Amino acid sequence: MTSTTSTTGTTGTAHAAGTGKGAGTAGTAVSLGDLTKHFGAVRAVDGLSLDIPVGQTVALLGRNGAGKSTTIGLLLGLLTPTSGSVRVLGGAPEAAIRAGRLAAMPQEGGLVPRTTVGELVGFVSRTYRAPLPVPEVLATAGLEELAGRRVERLSGGQAQRLRFALALAGDPELILLDEPTAALDVRARREFWESMRAFAARGRTVLFSTHYLEEADEYADRVVVIDKGRVAADGTSREIKRLVSLTTVSVTADPGQAARLERLPGVTSARARDGRVHLRTRDGDATVTALAGMGAVRDIEVAPAALEDAFIALTEVDA
Amino acid sequence: MLAYIRLEIVRILRDPAYVIMGFVMPVTMYLLFTNLGVTGADRVSAAVYVMVSMAAFGAIGSAFNNGTGIAEDRTAGWLRMLRTTPLAPARVVTGKAVTGMLVVLPAICGVSLAGALLNGVRLQAWQWASIVPLLWVGSLPFILLALAFGYFFSGQTATVLNIAANLGLAVVGGLWMPVEGFPAWMRTLSGWTPSFGYADLPRRVAFGQAPDAGTALILAGWLVAFGVLALYAYRRAGRLA
Repeated sequence: MTSTTSTTGTTGTAHAAGTGKGAGTAGTAVSLGDLTKHFGAVRAVDGLSLDIPVGQTVALLGRNGAGKSTTIGLLLGLLTPTSGSVRVLGGAPEAAIRAGRLAAMPQEGGLVPRTTVGELVGFVSRTYRAPLPVPEVLATAGLEELAGRRVERLSGGQAQRLRFALALAGDPELILLDEPTAALDVRARREFWESMRAFAARGRTVLFSTHYLEEADEYADRVVVIDKGRVAADGTSREIKRLVSLTTVSVTADPGQAARLERLPGVTSARARDGRVHLRTRDGDATVTALAGMGAVRDIEVAPAALEDAFIALTEVDA
Repeated sequence: MLAYIRLEIVRILRDPAYVIMGFVMPVTMYLLFTNLGVTGADRVSAAVYVMVSMAAFGAIGSAFNNGTGIAEDRTAGWLRMLRTTPLAPARVVTGKAVTGMLVVLPAICGVSLAGALLNGVRLQAWQWASIVPLLWVGSLPFILLALAFGYFFSGQTATVLNIAANLGLAVVGGLWMPVEGFPAWMRTLSGWTPSFGYADLPRRVAFGQAPDAGTALILAGWLVAFGVLALYAYRRAGRLA
């Protein structure tokens, strides 16, 4: 475990420090305990432990093949774990689905031809005991205008919105979204996340997988970085960026100053180049304050860490 | 489950292949076979004989169309989608079987009506009241066999099997030409097929004879066999989906 970085920060919620052994308390939406799933020699999920309290929006961030879709398949009971435990809303995934408490939006497929948008939403809605009103579902997903359209005539973005509508039709407590915006353009993506936020605002738990870092950064309360089938990092996007000390502060300074600047608060490395000194820091604020204190603020530039850099740093630890 | 059946019925009615194979073709073939080159007394008995054959042929075609659609549904991710709704998997299969029972009706009723209204088939009320239900209930083995195909095989394989089984059962079972013209070995083989029994039971009623118990037993045997096969295929598909 030495190469795995992990924090339990969860934006003011005190739940997430669980041991991940399938405690299944009332406040826990998802509890994965040392979960593994092997496909032959491939370890798609390899010792993954994760607890998600009710009400959180969590991003499962990882590159292709990191184990995101397998994890979602296990959470839905579509796959059987090789070992470890999966508990959803205090029970087995199948029970949560039967009770209409868990729903999912698949990455692709799931829409049958020769039906209309309205028919499909209406049908899925009727399989639940306490669904949302169909017009409300269509409105949330931005499909009111398309209710009469045949499924096979939808554009990629419209089909994706329909998948989302089908997932929220039953008003589930927990919704799993497998790369929900993979096929969408920038505007459609923004619209999608607005719908999703409206849903989450009603106290629902959302777990979505993505390899779009900005999405994790912008829309999740908590980011769980997955790599090689296990949790590589877990925290708010801020915490994850800090974890790998990636804010860069640069000032115009004599190269000889570099060694001195390296000892400033938060700084992890200093590099002189082209008459400037570039500092990598865990704590941009402290570093800048210290620079000001020593009168070294000259042409200062602060580049906040991109989550992407953090992500690369985190997932290359084992590489 | 009613909502599911309704959705499936709507889908199948919008499928041109179903409308053609399950209604237009059996009715057209029936009218052609009984009105071209058939004259005199033959024409009356042919109208009755072929009516049962074509109703059976159309019903089998519709049953296969319904079942093999499952393979496409799986490819489209629809079965996976259904598994993430509260609808229990067993209800999905039951719903699909009930849908099968409904989609065979247009062929059975269409050909029977064409017989009564256009071909002058005159039967006693009790004969009609036996023939139509026999054709309806007798379609169940084929519905189950088609479900098994749908769960076992991928879209294209299922479609090919659909056509092969449909035509094979029609020919060997004597739905296209009477078994009386078959060589002896083929007649023996035909007697064991589900399609022969399926048409033979109502046909005997139509000609005022008692249905053959042995034939009924063979059809019941196929019903059990295909039912077990469908159940096994469904369980297996559930593990792999």
